[in-house]
Amino acid sequence: MTMASELSEVRSFLGDAPPFDRLSEDQQSRIARRIVVRYFRSGETILEAGSHNDQLFIIRSGAVELRLAGEDLTMRLGQGGCFAYPSLLRGGEVRNTTRALEDTLVYCLPATEFHRLREESESLREYFNESETERIRAAVRDLRQKRSSSLEHATIEQLIVHSDPVSCPPEMPVCDAAALMSERDVSTLAICDEGGLLGIFTDKDLRRRVVAARFPLDNPVREVMTASPQTLPRDASAAEAMALMAAGGFRHIPILGDGGELLAVLSATDILAFLGDSAIDTGMLVAKAAGPAPLVAASAQIPESFARMEAGGFHAEHIMRFTSALGEAVHRKAAQLAEAELGPPPVPYALLAFGSLARGEQLVGSDQDNGIVMDDRVDEEGRAYFAALGERISDLLDDSGFVYCKGGIMAKNPEQRLTASEWKDRYARWIADPDEDSILRATIYFDMRAVHGDVGLAGRLHEDVVALASQSPLFVSFLARDAQRSKIPLGIFRNLVLEKSEDGQKVFDAKAQAIMPAIDIARTLALSEGLSETGTLERLEALAASGHMSPGDAESLKDAFLLVNELRITHQAEQVRTDTAPDNLINPRKLSPLEREYLKDAFKVIGSGLDSLKRNLAGGIA
Amino acid sequence: MLEALRKWRFARRLKECGRSDHASLRAYAEAEWPAASAPISHVPLLALDFELDGLGKDAHVLQAGWLPFNLSGIDLSQASSRDIRSKARLDDDAVAVHGIGETRAREGEHRHKVTDELLAALAGKVVVAHGASIERGVVERLVAQRFGIAPPVRAICTLELERKLSPGLVGTEAYRLEASRARYNLSPHSQHDALADALASAELFLAQLTRMGREMSLGSLEC
Repeated sequence: MTMASELSEVRSFLGDAPPFDRLSEDQQSRIARRIVVRYFRSGETILEAGSHNDQLFIIRSGAVELRLAGEDLTMRLGQGGCFAYPSLLRGGEVRNTTRALEDTLVYCLPATEFHRLREESESLREYFNESETERIRAAVRDLRQKRSSSLEHATIEQLIVHSDPVSCPPEMPVCDAAALMSERDVSTLAICDEGGLLGIFTDKDLRRRVVAARFPLDNPVREVMTASPQTLPRDASAAEAMALMAAGGFRHIPILGDGGELLAVLSATDILAFLGDSAIDTGMLVAKAAGPAPLVAASAQIPESFARMEAGGFHAEHIMRFTSALGEAVHRKAAQLAEAELGPPPVPYALLAFGSLARGEQLVGSDQDNGIVMDDRVDEEGRAYFAALGERISDLLDDSGFVYCKGGIMAKNPEQRLTASEWKDRYARWIADPDEDSILRATIYFDMRAVHGDVGLAGRLHEDVVALASQSPLFVSFLARDAQRSKIPLGIFRNLVLEKSEDGQKVFDAKAQAIMPAIDIARTLALSEGLSETGTLERLEALAASGHMSPGDAESLKDAFLLVNELRITHQAEQVRTDTAPDNLINPRKLSPLEREYLKDAFKVIGSGLDSLKRNLAGGIA
Repeated sequence: MLEALRKWRFARRLKECGRSDHASLRAYAEAEWPAASAPISHVPLLALDFELDGLGKDAHVLQAGWLPFNLSGIDLSQASSRDIRSKARLDDDAVAVHGIGETRAREGEHRHKVTDELLAALAGKVVVAHGASIERGVVERLVAQRFGIAPPVRAICTLELERKLSPGLVGTEAYRLEASRARYNLSPHSQHDALADALASAELFLAQLTRMGREMSLGSLEC
């Protein structure tokens, strides 16, 4: 009788806040009564790293930030956000220092209740997950979020393309408003009166609220505008704008000046343009290069585009893809320029890329790995043409920053310029008669793609090679065995086992010790199953899709691969910015404690991938 | 000076309760009461709110909500909400505001029973309320109707504190509970429910104290 009004508000808040919204009303009522309410002033520390905690924190109003060991920003949370549960999962030890970013009211739930809920509810258990796979997935997300935070340096003002926003009074008929938008070529109209901004009206509103709803065209636009839209001040950061768009699901934000006057309407496109410009510009420059000098100049911008994408918060797979696309464009242009100098090729041919470029996983500072496949009809004179062509392409690439390959895998070397049949024989020898030494040098050839010329020529070769490889268990077992050469730098006590670099720093080689083994695992399994994908992520996806790898394992490997690449990209972008030659030697001490934890998880995933490869495919010879 | 006077007056009235024939009044008097010099962080507090059927002195109490708390937090497991039985005809205007109609008011508990519970909850604690003089007056009236003696009620008024913390705001609206809470980034709450209002003023008090310090003496905050 008296319970009706009791704490109904607390309960209805829980009813809207994930994951508590998935609980029954009884459970919600029960936990409402177990809550202790606390208030923290902006700037106040809520939890200190190193202390002991026995409560789950739920933000009722305000915002907090979590910093690992008090330093690296792990997360920012607002209303409805939960924090401190990882400490409950590991018995109370607090690793993040949590500080109130605003005046914040929190609901604290005792650990006992938290554990009881995890027992009772599967969805809560999933939400508050402690498993490695989940953690590493969250880690990739976190790193991304963290990288996006460099967006905070860009203010909205830098992003605004169209200042002088187009506006109209609220009483303007819809048809006139639409005409105005059309005439001024804008997708968003600001509705203002003397008092300032009243609302906005977009293309989408026109579609949904006017045309689809058969709204009378003579009625005032006021009736179909989005009233009192969310706005941002001119000095807000791009990240804030993106967050607001993401959170609110809108694509336009009015930007107000210091006096509250409308300055511009920021669109999602403006943000994308800012982030992507550099990479796209560089690609345009490469494509337009009319001679060697412009090509060299355009290629020189690739590292900077790479660093800018990193700073822009792009994800690893996108940065690798963009950078590879730029590399591919440079290769293509080098071949086109060489053809222009030497005349058209006597027979069809293709320029082949091997290794990271073929996989679409290139970062900066890669040397060139390529070759030429010629039509079988080529004669001696034709071979002389391709010798000159190969030489020219390699030289142009070297000038453009893709330096000569130390192992000689480049078109200027005769053994890299073969006819389709000669290539096929070469692959067949590797596959039929493998030995440790030849495999070591041959794996790179099994990641192959045409970047210029007769794509069909290369494609047929690739198909034949894959078919041949999948029919040779001996070859696959050599590949599986070769993969075991990588030393995963993780000790049995989950400590990082590191080697000393030349200058005595303890480092690990992110490429050799994590990325290569992941690539090896994917390649070996894909070839053994006759899958023709070349990229590591694509191979893992194809393996999962065809039932040759459990989806969970494939996901974990993909995440581990992406995670280490995120770290590599950050490392190399920093080197680009400080004019250092990019390498893959990462000093774990320069990583945050959180990143080190992530890394250990990634090593563990890759290590178990290698183990399973050994068990299943190395077949007694490992 | 004023503090000392207040202390003397409280002690004197408490003594009177201690001589009462009623055990609950004697228990109230014998409770451990915090010294005025105690830092507020050590003081047991009780957020309290009543819903009345009017603004007059003899308005009926329709609902009482209270919850004990201290500076380390508001423990919702201790929250209490009681509808109070009333046979009187309800003031139509007030019904419109708080939604407690005659039917529900008749189904509530007897006010003496609620008074006993409240008195036990109050022993040794300092009331926190927005406009605490109303809550203090109602407690005194309820207990006097029950036992013939009005006990002394110690209280902190968040409204009064807000006038000091945010001086010079125009009009009384700016000092109402909801407007005051907004200044501390506290979300809107459902008004005209006694427990919700009590919780709202407890939260406001915690917020206000972050502007004043946890070591403020009880005496400097009491009204």
